Amino acid sequence: MQVFNAFIKVLKKKLPGSIIYVVVFLVIAFPMAMNTANDVDIFEADRLSICIFDEDDTKESRALSACIGKNHDLVELENNRNAITDALYYETVDYVLIINKGYSKRLADTQEQKLFSSYHMHDSYGTVFMEQFLNEYVSAVRAHIAGGAELFAAIQSTEEALSQETKVTYANFLHDDTNTDYPTNFSYFFQYMPYILISVLMHSLCPVLLAMNRKDIRFRTNCSSVKPNAYMVQIFAGSTFFIIGIWTIFIIAGLFMYGGLYQGKAWLAVLNSFLFALVSAAITIFISSFEPSQNFINLMTQVIGLGMSFLCGIFVPQSLLGDGVLAAARFLPAYWYVRANDMLAGKEVYDGTQFAAFLAIEAAFAVVLALLTLLIRRLKYSGANLLKVRF
Amino acid sequence: MFLHNFKYELLSSLRTKDMIFWLMIFPIILGTLFKIAFADIYEKTTAFSSIPTAVVEVQENEIFHSVIETLEEEEDPLLSVTYTDEEDALKLLQSGEVEGIIYLDGTLSLTVAEEGMEETILKSFVEQYTVQNKIIIDTAASAQDPTQAKAVIAALSEEISTCTDIPLTDGNPDNMVQYFYNLIAMVALYGAITGLHVTINAQANLSALGARKTCSPTPKSVSLTAGLLGSYLIQTLCMVICVTFIAFILKVNLGSRLPLVYLAAILGGITGVSLGFFVGALNLFRVELKMGISIAVIMLLCFLSGLMVGNMKAIIAQKMPWFNKINPAAVISDSFYCLNIDSGYDRFIQKIITMLIISVTFTALGVLVTRRKKYASL
Repeated sequence: MQVFNAFIKVLKKKLPGSIIYVVVFLVIAFPMAMNTANDVDIFEADRLSICIFDEDDTKESRALSACIGKNHDLVELENNRNAITDALYYETVDYVLIINKGYSKRLADTQEQKLFSSYHMHDSYGTVFMEQFLNEYVSAVRAHIAGGAELFAAIQSTEEALSQETKVTYANFLHDDTNTDYPTNFSYFFQYMPYILISVLMHSLCPVLLAMNRKDIRFRTNCSSVKPNAYMVQIFAGSTFFIIGIWTIFIIAGLFMYGGLYQGKAWLAVLNSFLFALVSAAITIFISSFEPSQNFINLMTQVIGLGMSFLCGIFVPQSLLGDGVLAAARFLPAYWYVRANDMLAGKEVYDGTQFAAFLAIEAAFAVVLALLTLLIRRLKYSGANLLKVRF
Repeated sequence: MFLHNFKYELLSSLRTKDMIFWLMIFPIILGTLFKIAFADIYEKTTAFSSIPTAVVEVQENEIFHSVIETLEEEEDPLLSVTYTDEEDALKLLQSGEVEGIIYLDGTLSLTVAEEGMEETILKSFVEQYTVQNKIIIDTAASAQDPTQAKAVIAALSEEISTCTDIPLTDGNPDNMVQYFYNLIAMVALYGAITGLHVTINAQANLSALGARKTCSPTPKSVSLTAGLLGSYLIQTLCMVICVTFIAFILKVNLGSRLPLVYLAAILGGITGVSLGFFVGALNLFRVELKMGISIAVIMLLCFLSGLMVGNMKAIIAQKMPWFNKINPAAVISDSFYCLNIDSGYDRFIQKIITMLIISVTFTALGVLVTRRKKYASL
């Protein structure tokens, strides 16, 4: 157990950095995962944030503002070009509408020109939606006026007509009832986990493995009574202890976010994350077998952690990534992890065989990396190479 | 003597691996990843494009056909319609090739796969059609004069445009670019690492080099000035590499005033160096701890400026607007934003002045803390 004890002793020194990663991840993940409002069957239209500057300030213009406010969130902004520009650029507001002075008079005269103005940043979906709504609203009021109604009566009839809702149904291939076991918001907790697993393992395990493998220590171990196989088993046990420890912390923290023991598909997400923890460990041991410097470890942690997260859909959903990026990402394990997680979260159609295939690919990555590591170690620490080092 | 110190400051900085990594390699890696990940997001999520929709005609509907034809004649049509049967429509919806299926039966109905803005627009489109039908039926039923019914239909059929756009900017409205603004701001503030080295290498209690310099005949003012200017020069080089890589290799649209982007980036770098110079001069922590605290604080400032969460700056602007005015990362990234979005220079000049004030303040404080230090014993 001496090697194992030494391993744990070195590991302890590296733990504070890992704890920072774990704590920051959990602090960010908690509010995201706790927001588990899940609406499987009822379609809810997007609500836009709309700022209205009512320059007309008549009962007709106020009626329009109230009508918009029924389906959207009305927000207030300083009537200042810089504030409006910033709000539209950073999307804290989706649409800024000005009800022009003389709106009610022009509406009564069925004029369409100069009724509204809007501050325009770009042709977004929100802009198109609101312009479509405003045209529809005015068109309906004009139709009622053409039908003989007075202006305010026409506005009231328009509001009544607009209040009818079309029933929207979900295609049942995504929205099955079993998805309640693994709510979409909770799935983000597992979605971000690969980044943290890779960062923590590479940040902590790599230096420990390097320290244990330092030339002088390795020589001392080689000439001790500890058999090489026993040495490897203890190093492996130490690494496994750390990996499972970190993974268990996440899974236990997940229980609090989930609100009890995992159910149904959530267990599959746990299995998926366990496989990825093994992949992360395999990557870490593979990198450390090259005996890199601390600077190189820092570089590789960022390259592998951030690289996989951006390319494979951890930080940005796979649906928003380009085809070329996704084609390249197929050669990385995190891509298959995210595909499996998306399938559980209902973003893809669930297919048990395909899900098992995703897990098998992840496991294959771990096995291939482990075999490569063994090969490198065999080549690196073969008798001939050791002799080269000695002389 | 000044030139001698200056030359060796440059050489030693260029040989510091930490600096090469954090100031040159890391931004290139992160910038490339940003480019790969964010390249299509603006086009796919924010900028409007016709919504692909499948239409399943259970019952033939001439009026709907003519509405769609009129729509598709427009320059930027609202919908891009595929007429098909239910089975194929569901396949298209499942594969994500269409956003929704409109069923033409006695009434119109909509089937979607998920919630979103495109689906909301589709719902609104279907409702618009239903609303118009209701208005025609209601007014036809209540109209005393038959010509009124025709007038109603004419009013509903007329293409109107009620809203006039007031353009806000000629710049690049893609808000994903702000991740690159924050990346440049992060590199600028990482100049603190070079700034830290200046004071660490000048103080006898912090490094062996500092001890040697302290007992050399070179006046402290000369060696410190040479160190600071050398760091400014190295940081300027890093900023030029960073902006050039983003603008010309990754081809990110940083606006039409690129020379001023370089100027703001260089000034941001000087702000970063000054910050590090001050932190390094403090007699509070060990060298490693100073380095760790500096990087942690910089990352926090960059997080609050929107490096990790795009609209963080807007959230801070709502909750604590004063903080964005003093957060160096926000000030630096805002200077690029102002150059891109604003037509004038008022806000850009404000940001530049803020950077100058921060730089001068931290440099002066660093000099104040460092001056007249004597080491009786080490």
